[in-house]
Amino acid sequence: MKEFRKYIRVWWLLTIKSFQVAFTSRFGVALFVFGKLFRLGFFLLFLVIIEQRTKVIVGYSLWEIILFFATFNLIDVFSQFFLREVYKFRWYIVSGDFDFFLTRPLSPLFRSLFGGGDPLDIPILCLSIVLVAISVINIGNVSFANAILYLVLVANGLLIALAFHIFVLAVGVLTTEVDNTIWLYRDLTQMGRLPVDIYQQPLRALITFAVPVGIMITYPSKAILGLLSPQAVLISFIVGGVFLWASILFWRYSLKNYSSASS
Amino acid sequence: MNIKKYYLAARNTWDETLAYRLNFVMWRVRMVLTLLTMYFLWSALLLPGGNILGYTREFMLTYILGTSIINSLVISNRSYEVGEEINNGNLSNFLLRPINYFLYQFSRDLGDKAMNIVFSFVELTILFIILAPPIFIQTDSSLLALTFFSCLLALTMYFFLNFLLGLIGFWSPDVWAPRFVFITVLTFFSGGLFPLDILPKPIFSILEFFPFPYLLFFPLKIYLGQLVMAEIIKGIMISSTWIFVLWFIVKFAWARGLRLYTAYGR
Repeated sequence: MKEFRKYIRVWWLLTIKSFQVAFTSRFGVALFVFGKLFRLGFFLLFLVIIEQRTKVIVGYSLWEIILFFATFNLIDVFSQFFLREVYKFRWYIVSGDFDFFLTRPLSPLFRSLFGGGDPLDIPILCLSIVLVAISVINIGNVSFANAILYLVLVANGLLIALAFHIFVLAVGVLTTEVDNTIWLYRDLTQMGRLPVDIYQQPLRALITFAVPVGIMITYPSKAILGLLSPQAVLISFIVGGVFLWASILFWRYSLKNYSSASS
Repeated sequence: MNIKKYYLAARNTWDETLAYRLNFVMWRVRMVLTLLTMYFLWSALLLPGGNILGYTREFMLTYILGTSIINSLVISNRSYEVGEEINNGNLSNFLLRPINYFLYQFSRDLGDKAMNIVFSFVELTILFIILAPPIFIQTDSSLLALTFFSCLLALTMYFFLNFLLGLIGFWSPDVWAPRFVFITVLTFFSGGLFPLDILPKPIFSILEFFPFPYLLFFPLKIYLGQLVMAEIIKGIMISSTWIFVLWFIVKFAWARGLRLYTAYGR
C-alpha cells in the first residue's frame, strides 16, 4: 500500500509539472482544445448526415451509433490522458535519458507510461462522458446489469489500450521507432469509431480478436445494448488478460536487449 | 537558375526516407489502414444499387480510393519543417547559401510526393487485386487533363498554405498548435473523409469559397465527370485566385518575419 501511494504521489507531481508546461502557452492550449472539439463535433455531424441519408448504419440507429463513437472517444481520450508520456518515449531512447529511468527507485515501465496527465484531454474526456450519458438516455431500456457490464468492459478496454502502449514502448526500446508505431495504434483504434460490424470478414475477425480493437471499443457498447453473449464477455476478459500479460513479457524481453547505445 | 541543386534536394528526401525504412513502412501501413477504414465504411453504407445524393457505390468507392492517390500528390510534404527551422535557428544555414529557400522547400515537397505516389500506386494495385472494388474509369481525355491540372493547382496551393503556417515560427515558438488545427480542419473540409457535397447545402456553399475543397474534392469531382464545364472553370478560377492571394501573403510574411529573425537557438 505504501508503495502504491508512492507511485500515486509521483504521478501527481508529474501531472502538476505537465499542467505547468502545457499552460506556458495558453494560446497553444486554446488552439489544441479547439482542434479536438472541432474534430469531435464535425465527426458527429458526419454521423448525423449519414444517418439522415441512410436511416440506419449497419442496423444501428443514430443514438446507438453515437454511443459507439462516444465510447471510442472515452477509451481513446482516457488512455491518452494517462499515457501521453509514451509519445515522448523515442526522445528518451535516442537521447539516452531512458538510462535515468532504469537507475531510479521507480519501475521504468511506470515512468515510461505515466509522465503525468495531459490537461488538453480533459475537455474531450468530460464531453465523451456526457455524450455516453445522453446517448444511453435516448436509447432507453438499458438495464442496470448491462450498464455495469458496460463499465467493466470499458475498464477491460483500457487494459487493452495499456497493453498496446506497453507493446509500443517495447518496440521503441528494441528499434528506437515509437512515433509511427503509436500512430499506427491510433489509426487501428480509429477503426472502432463505428461498430466493427461494418467491416467485412476476415478484417472484422482480425480487428476483433487478433488486434482487439473490437473487444476494446465495440464490445462495451454492444453489452449496454444487450447484444453481447456471455461467451463474448468471457472471451473479452481472456483476450484482455492475455494481451496485457503478453505485453509485459515483451517489455521484459526488450529491457534485456536494451543496449543503451545512445547514452 | 541552377536546377540541379533543387533536383538534389528532392532526391535527398528519398535518401532521408529510406534511411528510416521502418518509419516509412509504418507510415504507409497507416495510410492503407486509413483508406481501408473509409472504404469499408462506405461499402457498408452503400450496398449494390444504393445511392446517396448522386453517389452510387461505384462512384463513392472510386472517390474514396481516388483520395488516396491525390492525397499522395497534394498533401504529402516536407515543408512542415519550416517552422522548426525558424525556431531552432537552422534557417540561417539557408539564408547564407546560394539557394532559394522557397524552391528548396518546394523541391523537398516534390521528392516526398514522388515517393508517396509510387508507394500509393503499389498499395492500390494490391488492394484492387484483393478487394476487386467496382470502380469508375474516366475515359474522357479532356476531363483527365483537367483533373491533372486541378491537382497541380492544389499542390501549389497546399505548398503555400503549409509554408505560411511554418512562418508563424517568426512570431511564436508554438508552431504545432496552429498546424494541429489546420490538419484537423483540412481532414474534414478537403473532402478526404467524404464528398463535401453530401453536406447541407448552406455549409457547402460557404466552403466553396475557401481553399480546402480544391485540394481533394474538386479534382475528384472532375475525374468523376460530375461537374459541368462552367463549374470546372469556376473552381479553377477560385483555386488560382487563392494561389495568388496566398503567394502575396507568404511573400509579405516572409519579408516581415526576416526583419524579426534573430537566429535564436544557434
